[in-house]
Amino acid sequence: MNDMRLTERAVGTQTTKITARAVQVFYGDNHAIKDVDVDIADKTVTAFIGPSGCGKSTFLRCINRMNDTISVARVEGDILIDGEDIYDKRVDPVQLRAKVGMVFQKPNPFPKSIYDNVAYGPRIHGLARDKADLDEIVERSLRRAALWDEAKDRLGEPGTGLSGGQQQRLCIARAVATSPEVLLMDEPCSALDPIATAQVEELIDELRQNYSVVIVTHSMQQAARVSQRTAFFHLGNLVEYGETGKIFTSPEDPRTESYISGRIG
Amino acid sequence: MTDATAPIGAGQGSLIQQDSRTAKRNAAEKRFKMYGLAAVCVGIAMLIMLVTSILSNGVSAFFQTTIQIMVELPEEKLDKSGVRDPEVMAKVTTFGYAPLLRDGLQKTLEDNGIETELSAKDAADLISDESVAQLRRYVLANPELIGQTIPVEVLASGRIDGFYKGRVTYESAELDSNVSPEQLDLAEALKGADLLKTGFNWRFFTAPDASVTRPEAAGLGVAIIGSFYMMLIVLCLALPIGVAASIYLEEFAPQNRFTDLIEVNISNLAAVPSIVFGILGLAIFINFAGLPQSAPIVGGLVLTLMTLPTIIIATRASLKSVPPSIRDAALGLGASKMQAVFHHVLPLAMPGILTGTIIGLAQALGETAPLLLIGMVAFVREYPAGPPEGLFDPATALPVQIFNFTQRSDPAFVERASGAIIVLLLFLLIMNLTAIFLRRRFERRW
Repeated sequence: MNDMRLTERAVGTQTTKITARAVQVFYGDNHAIKDVDVDIADKTVTAFIGPSGCGKSTFLRCINRMNDTISVARVEGDILIDGEDIYDKRVDPVQLRAKVGMVFQKPNPFPKSIYDNVAYGPRIHGLARDKADLDEIVERSLRRAALWDEAKDRLGEPGTGLSGGQQQRLCIARAVATSPEVLLMDEPCSALDPIATAQVEELIDELRQNYSVVIVTHSMQQAARVSQRTAFFHLGNLVEYGETGKIFTSPEDPRTESYISGRIG
Repeated sequence: MTDATAPIGAGQGSLIQQDSRTAKRNAAEKRFKMYGLAAVCVGIAMLIMLVTSILSNGVSAFFQTTIQIMVELPEEKLDKSGVRDPEVMAKVTTFGYAPLLRDGLQKTLEDNGIETELSAKDAADLISDESVAQLRRYVLANPELIGQTIPVEVLASGRIDGFYKGRVTYESAELDSNVSPEQLDLAEALKGADLLKTGFNWRFFTAPDASVTRPEAAGLGVAIIGSFYMMLIVLCLALPIGVAASIYLEEFAPQNRFTDLIEVNISNLAAVPSIVFGILGLAIFINFAGLPQSAPIVGGLVLTLMTLPTIIIATRASLKSVPPSIRDAALGLGASKMQAVFHHVLPLAMPGILTGTIIGLAQALGETAPLLLIGMVAFVREYPAGPPEGLFDPATALPVQIFNFTQRSDPAFVERASGAIIVLLLFLLIMNLTAIFLRRRFERRW
């Protein structure tokens, strides 16, 4: 991982993948996200931290328009991916979600076989020409999620029969199987033990080579370990956003400092 | 907390001795268990009473006494023309056939050396009136038999049948104008000659209803066909409509006042007395749409209306019970809402949907009140045709047939009604077992 440090340094000059401007989210009368501006770089891990209920997950779900499924949620402002406004009327959220994959807090494999779990995305998007093609996608995705060695002999078994950590890696494999450009992770390790967490973190670091990864986490250590840039949310505001090292060593905002040092949150 | 006087708390004192609160709590728990057990026992006792009463009354309906006699079919009486054309032969009514059976019985008695003081007419009263019509139908269907003497198995009359089921005794026969002790003697003599037998009553399942004076001939054939047709209609209409409505309401519909209103109304509809649906069916399907009375199509439509709320409520409940994380997972992968529902949510909700549907069907199968209002209580002897035309032919339904049997005075109909109840309960049992089987099967997948 020689290039890791390189990217870390080059982060400022890298192409911006996601641009958010003046984003507001309302749940009914509740103003959940207030005026958030953020630029997320390509091929970088960006961590969102903050106390519970600060809106970091809400903001994450705006990026692939999962908030559309909540009828009372209303999003204002602009979110651009590669310069295209994803809230444009012409954008089909289904197409968007193929481009912006998501891994959820609780491992949620389909109650189907491991193979079918991974193959589902490619199947509905018609990514495989034939069975051999699909087999290859499944293998590649499982390898990328570091699950191939454990799962290759039991592809026909139900995904729900795996352990928690394996299930979460299966969900990651399922998300990368559709070859998205952005991968959103909503507290992917909160239900995992330290060993599984380490495996998933390692995985996130590898995924950075191909994807722009945005991860929401409650663990500041995790943010420090896996991300290059960190955004601190508090009460719906984006308080501070910058390089991870800087946020954790010399935060500018007093709120960030008190959160990191454990005084609030 | 560092007080010298030890505080009296729940955690203080010996563990070996139960304190008074614990003893009281345990006693309350024990009492509650006893109440529960008592309730279960009462329930079981009621069930046993119900089943024994129905079985003791109804099992005999599955057996029927018949008499074997030799009947001569003379050509000069049945087909003077000699062309054996059923249309010409049909001119001879049952009045022409009645003497044949009477003579046949006399001849059979003579052949077997049975003597009786009864007149030929009184002896012939052992035979069901229905048998004459049966013989006529049989001869019209097989004209080549004319001129021969054939063995015929005829139904014994209701009282004779009842004698062998313990319903009629010599004492009751003394007081009964429909049967005399001498006739019972004759029946015993026939039984001695092995001509009178009591066997399994297949006709009970196949024969149509019979008139009030012929309980021995009454069967459930038309009722079973009518009920089957109605179940077919209910299944074909209520399942797709109910499931589609539930999926729309649960997964696609916006949450607003209008959908709230629909929801409340569906819940209310499930509680509407079934007879109201009967009146609705009468007004809409028969009076307004002009569909025929007594037809399974109308019954099926009414029962569909009645079953829909049940199916919708069950389906929505099972859709709701599918964890939202599954929907999120599918949507997050870029599946459309419909794909998410049909690929993931619906298969998981299937056991619940099937159970709800079958429970709805079972409810519809046992429903009587709305059918009374749309004319299915009619006396129907003609079998309806095969589907789809048969759906418009008059028919009855099992629960209505039971209702009909219980309206009649002849005690033999008590047995028939109980027998029909057993048949209905068997169908319901089979349906519920199917529901359990399907649920297990779909659940076992994961």
